[in-house]
Amino acid sequence: MKTSQSLAAIRSEIKAGNLTMVQIVNEYLNNIEFTKELNLYVEVYRDEVLEKAEALDLKIKKSPNSLGKAWGMVVSLKDVIAYKGHKMTAGSKILKDYVAPYHSTVAERLVNEDAIIIGRVNCDEFAMGSSNERSVYGVSCNALNKELVPGGSSGASASSVQADTCLISLGSDTGGSVRQPASFCGVTGVKPSYGRISRHGLIAYASSFDQIGVLGHQVEDISIALEVISGSDEYDVTASKREVPAYSQPLESGNKKIAIFKSAIENEGIDPEIKEETLKFIEKLKSQGHQIELLDFEYFDYVIPAYYVMTTAEASSNLARFDGIRYGHRTETSGSLTEMYANSRTEGFGEEVQARILLGTYVLSAGYYDSYFGKAQKIRRIIRDRLIDVLNDFDFIGLPTSPMPAWKIGSIVDDPVQNYLADIYTVLANLAGLPAASIPLKNHSNGSGIGFQVMAGKFKEHELLSFLGTI
Amino acid sequence: MNASVLDKYELVVGLEVHVQLATQTKAFCSDAVSFGDDANTHTSVVSLAHPGTLPRLNEKQIEYAVRLGLALGCEIDRESRFDRKNYFYADLPKGYQTTQDARPIAIGGEMTILGNKKIRLHHIHMEEDAGKSIHDLDPNLSMIDLNRAGTPLLEIVTEPDFRSAEEVEAFMYQMRQLVRYLEVSDGNMEQGSMRCDCNVSVRLKGAKEFGERCEVKNMNSMKFAKMAINYEFRRQIQLLEQGDVVLRNTLNFNPQTGITTPLRSKEDAHDYRYFPDLDQLPVHISKEFVNTIKEQLPQLPWELKETFQKKYGLSSYNATLLTEEKGAAYYFLELAEQDFTNYKSIANLMINKIMPWAKEQQQKVVDFVLSPTDCLSFLELIDKQLVNNSTAYQKLWPELIKQKGQYETPLALAEKLDLIQKSDSSAVESIVAEILTAHPQKVDAYKKGKKGLIGFFMGDFMKKTKGKYNPKEAQQLLVKALSK
Repeated sequence: MKTSQSLAAIRSEIKAGNLTMVQIVNEYLNNIEFTKELNLYVEVYRDEVLEKAEALDLKIKKSPNSLGKAWGMVVSLKDVIAYKGHKMTAGSKILKDYVAPYHSTVAERLVNEDAIIIGRVNCDEFAMGSSNERSVYGVSCNALNKELVPGGSSGASASSVQADTCLISLGSDTGGSVRQPASFCGVTGVKPSYGRISRHGLIAYASSFDQIGVLGHQVEDISIALEVISGSDEYDVTASKREVPAYSQPLESGNKKIAIFKSAIENEGIDPEIKEETLKFIEKLKSQGHQIELLDFEYFDYVIPAYYVMTTAEASSNLARFDGIRYGHRTETSGSLTEMYANSRTEGFGEEVQARILLGTYVLSAGYYDSYFGKAQKIRRIIRDRLIDVLNDFDFIGLPTSPMPAWKIGSIVDDPVQNYLADIYTVLANLAGLPAASIPLKNHSNGSGIGFQVMAGKFKEHELLSFLGTI
Repeated sequence: MNASVLDKYELVVGLEVHVQLATQTKAFCSDAVSFGDDANTHTSVVSLAHPGTLPRLNEKQIEYAVRLGLALGCEIDRESRFDRKNYFYADLPKGYQTTQDARPIAIGGEMTILGNKKIRLHHIHMEEDAGKSIHDLDPNLSMIDLNRAGTPLLEIVTEPDFRSAEEVEAFMYQMRQLVRYLEVSDGNMEQGSMRCDCNVSVRLKGAKEFGERCEVKNMNSMKFAKMAINYEFRRQIQLLEQGDVVLRNTLNFNPQTGITTPLRSKEDAHDYRYFPDLDQLPVHISKEFVNTIKEQLPQLPWELKETFQKKYGLSSYNATLLTEEKGAAYYFLELAEQDFTNYKSIANLMINKIMPWAKEQQQKVVDFVLSPTDCLSFLELIDKQLVNNSTAYQKLWPELIKQKGQYETPLALAEKLDLIQKSDSSAVESIVAEILTAHPQKVDAYKKGKKGLIGFFMGDFMKKTKGKYNPKEAQQLLVKALSK
């Protein structure tokens, strides 16, 4: 493992005097340069990060005892997270040139703990997509194989970690947008429980699903980042007031009881190599002494419809503020107020975003509410209750992160159903608000990564991270 | 249209009253709530709906909503929640209004107006105000001021229980009085702190079904609301009389022309696509919270009016005047709860002197320059006939105010100003004797039956004593001396 892929290694090299922050930042900056063709970064804060690295080097020398909890950590931010004074565009023309006038809670906490934010990475427009092919900045590529998509919507986040251009990336996960790209790019991605991390400063897609997640090479590093950014926040009432455990100090993790959803593996749509790797991994868990049980999960058919009804409904309302009046793109054409809205939004939003706004508007329309939104809410409750039931008996639920490996760029971009089905295993955790992670298994023969997903009970991040650290 | 045609019909009105809450800050962020400041100066990232911003509930509005709900006898929903009402407008930054639809904070309740008319309430819900669009500052541009955007409002929705514009007016005045008593709003209609939408329909008297209704939007003057309702009453009747139908429109009222014009028709009605605001938690209210607010409710104007009439014997008219504002009513109570029991004289002093003073000085009654003790001492001087009534009001009162701080007690000042009625009998007797000696012929005439001459003797007495002696006593002595 390279030094640049582990915070512990970076810190010990720096303390031994073999490395400086300026050097490590330069290494990442060089990697960004070398991987430019992957189109990962929308913006690199080159001069700024070098200055910050220099200042941190000085602090390391002069007052090593006052270093923040995240020192040494270089982070890339998905283009939906506010970093004061820097652009934030959600991969959309409608926010072209928008500069965040305030800090997201996560960016502020990271910076306060001496992390360095190196740049802003690409994503699907407004985090809507599973392949990072739907950004105004163009497609980002998978660092494992540049012919492949990196997954989405936090595709460039995952790829930026794999490409060794940062230690940690923050993404957002509404239906798998952190875990699925982590699996495609061969890194680890963790989506904590809904409410564990403040959403203040995260551009909303679907308020009751969105959660910021962390991508990295090492569970240890992800744990440190999570410890820094989690916790209650006066600016987000849905952020839990529950105390944040010291994730960086793993719990004693003995043998666990793990439920495996049979249908997720036996599903005829699953890629055979993914199935094989998943089964092998389950055997490995068994051999480590963990107790594995195959369970039925009867609701897979309802997962995607419920998810898309609810998230598009919320999105149609959350994205109403992008009207070209106070900020963002405004049409050059003249006309009535309604025409100004229609033209600004038609010009500003990409096709997928428009489709989801229309879908969401439709399901909330008079006369349709009960048959769509109302029903989806009920399904969501049933699914959540079932998952909670299972997690009362088991420590974790295990299943593949994605039924398919990363696909070739452009190969299914026009097939929304295929695209939406790619989320089937990750959406569960968002419907139920549970923490879930994807860890890399062996790579697929097409060059994609393969991920194994572990889901835990609500607010059991500490147990989840500790377990991941042992396997 | 002649009166007999109008008389066939009955007016039916329901109201949606919007009350702007007197909180320091907005409903969901810490921007100040203010009126009349420079445009767009209270507009944080939340007010401007910047991407990634979230609402932070101002709990004061919950307290105010519960206060008003309890005062109106509503049932408080202790698990109410916020919903989103989705529509696009330039002064609505988020593209939705945060409001309450499925679970409003207060259900039911009623208010009695004009003595015995009960107006039932459907519910009260919390919501935020929009900004202001200004269309007449520039020929080509619309100006947007978002200072008001996100200001907390309560919307009080009544049942269609009004049968005249006068009832609507009485309800609005009483609602304004109530929100001021409860200190949840300043109730200023001119500044838009209180406004209402009127749902107006007509039907033949005795009909069971309601007629199709029109909604006249945004009335912020009682006078105009009355005009609009009366106009609509005639307009709708005229349509029906012509054999036409009333179309369910949303209307605008133009006070200049006195007529209503359609803003939008039923077909153009917005589909607001209400759904839960999932950026917020349900509004959980504890039983204890409700009880505490209940205990802290002030006495309500109509309760006080009854007390003033029954306990203190005031006329209905005076009781109404005194309870119009909470400050005055409570000041009266403060005065009335001392030892001095001439409540009518307290009421008169308040109505004739103290309340006009407050109005002129634009001060609160409670801040009246003289202390309650001094006010009561003043009234006592009159009651004990130490100063006569007109002297007291005309001479002593202005001086009490003017020389405030320079006297110990009103009595001391009256003495200093030589306004005390003297009742030193021997002194009076000698003056009487003096007068009789000076006018022997008139004394004779009186004794022979010209009793009217008593007025002459009294006049002379008053002239000589400059009104310092108690005239009643003087007259008694004069009569006594003349009948000897």
